[in-house]
Amino acid sequence: MIKSLGLLSFLLCILYSEAQYPGYTLLDQPETFKISFTQATGKTETIQSDFKQEKSLSMLSENINSNGKFWYRKNDKIRMEYIQPYSYIMILNGGKIYIKEGQKENKISANSNKVFQQVNRILIDCVGGSMLDNPDFQSRIFERSGTFLVELIPLTKNLRELYKNINILIDKKDYTATAIEMFELSGDKTIIRFQNKILNAQIDDSVFNIP
Amino acid sequence: MRKSTIRFLISLNLAGTILSCNQYRHMQRIQSDEFCIQKLRPDFNHAVYKTSVDVVGKHISGILIVKRMPDSSTRVVFTNEMGFSYFDFGFPPDSGFKIYLIVPQMNKSGVIRTLRKDFELLMFRNTNGSRYYALKDSGLVYHAFPQNGDINYYITDNNCRRLIKMQRATTKKPIMEAFIFENSQDIAPDSISIRHFNISHFSITLKQIPAPAAQ
Repeated sequence: MIKSLGLLSFLLCILYSEAQYPGYTLLDQPETFKISFTQATGKTETIQSDFKQEKSLSMLSENINSNGKFWYRKNDKIRMEYIQPYSYIMILNGGKIYIKEGQKENKISANSNKVFQQVNRILIDCVGGSMLDNPDFQSRIFERSGTFLVELIPLTKNLRELYKNINILIDKKDYTATAIEMFELSGDKTIIRFQNKILNAQIDDSVFNIP
Repeated sequence: MRKSTIRFLISLNLAGTILSCNQYRHMQRIQSDEFCIQKLRPDFNHAVYKTSVDVVGKHISGILIVKRMPDSSTRVVFTNEMGFSYFDFGFPPDSGFKIYLIVPQMNKSGVIRTLRKDFELLMFRNTNGSRYYALKDSGLVYHAFPQNGDINYYITDNNCRRLIKMQRATTKKPIMEAFIFENSQDIAPDSISIRHFNISHFSITLKQIPAPAAQ
């Protein structure tokens, strides 16, 4: 009886997962993925790309679209430069965050703000490939042709108040993130898609400089 | 200087100080039409604003969306550039207020009350009360709508053809002032500037983002 119930829950879990992400199946051997993923991301020193961001406000039936340029350097440097709808620059470097919006500059110590620290780490982990080691999340991995989907469910109270789950879509060819999907409790979501990626190109130090 | 002169100057100074404490006292009550300001009401049917908030040396920026819903309520949503939502407020058609979402860092009664009152002033809410009165001050008319504890002023020219500014005030002095620019009946204001006087260096500026960003 107990065995039957266990099997039934397992089957229901698989059916639910597949209904949640149409076209994807849950990996039953995530360890194999983790080994390949760790090896591939270990070789990625830098990423340059364009990005398109779409924020969907479900209740308002409203989308806000942005786009810009993205730079990453191992292990903890990111620059996101929004071009549309207006100029906005965010640099994450070590434990610091620098924001420039128009003529306004703002420097924040990520370490002084728990939520900023966690959101900062999500971005770096998602792009740098260390999200599977992040104890703030429980992960499941799905796949379909050409793409892995890593589902991250927040475990800490702070993050659970912000996000229902965060999904990272990973290109099977080079194991880099093609998109990050952030689902809020309200039903709103933000998708950042990375396009025209260039891996391991030389990036000048000044790109990540915090003045 | 003679003692009586000194006494006179001190009295004058004191009287001036007392009078200046009440910034509305010198204004004259006049008869005016409380409905005249309705034609100056901004149309917040749908607008997306680049938004900057400066408060006590801290700077927050993001995108603010104002949208009239099918049930005639108005939703006001503020997110940062990366899509992270700060708050989502709902204003039902006639009165009331609903919080759909607010981040824990902003979930404080003082912050919510201030933001609610700011938006209510901008949206001309509660402007049909029977306690309406009008004050005149050198070419300007202050259309006053007492609220719970505050007074919302819509300050127009003499003919009530142009909205000069808005104020939220105590009985004696303004605690917040808002300007809207390029306002007309059928489009949302192009930009809005809000300045608080009771909270040091608290200001909000909004500049409308052209339509392609928001769909």
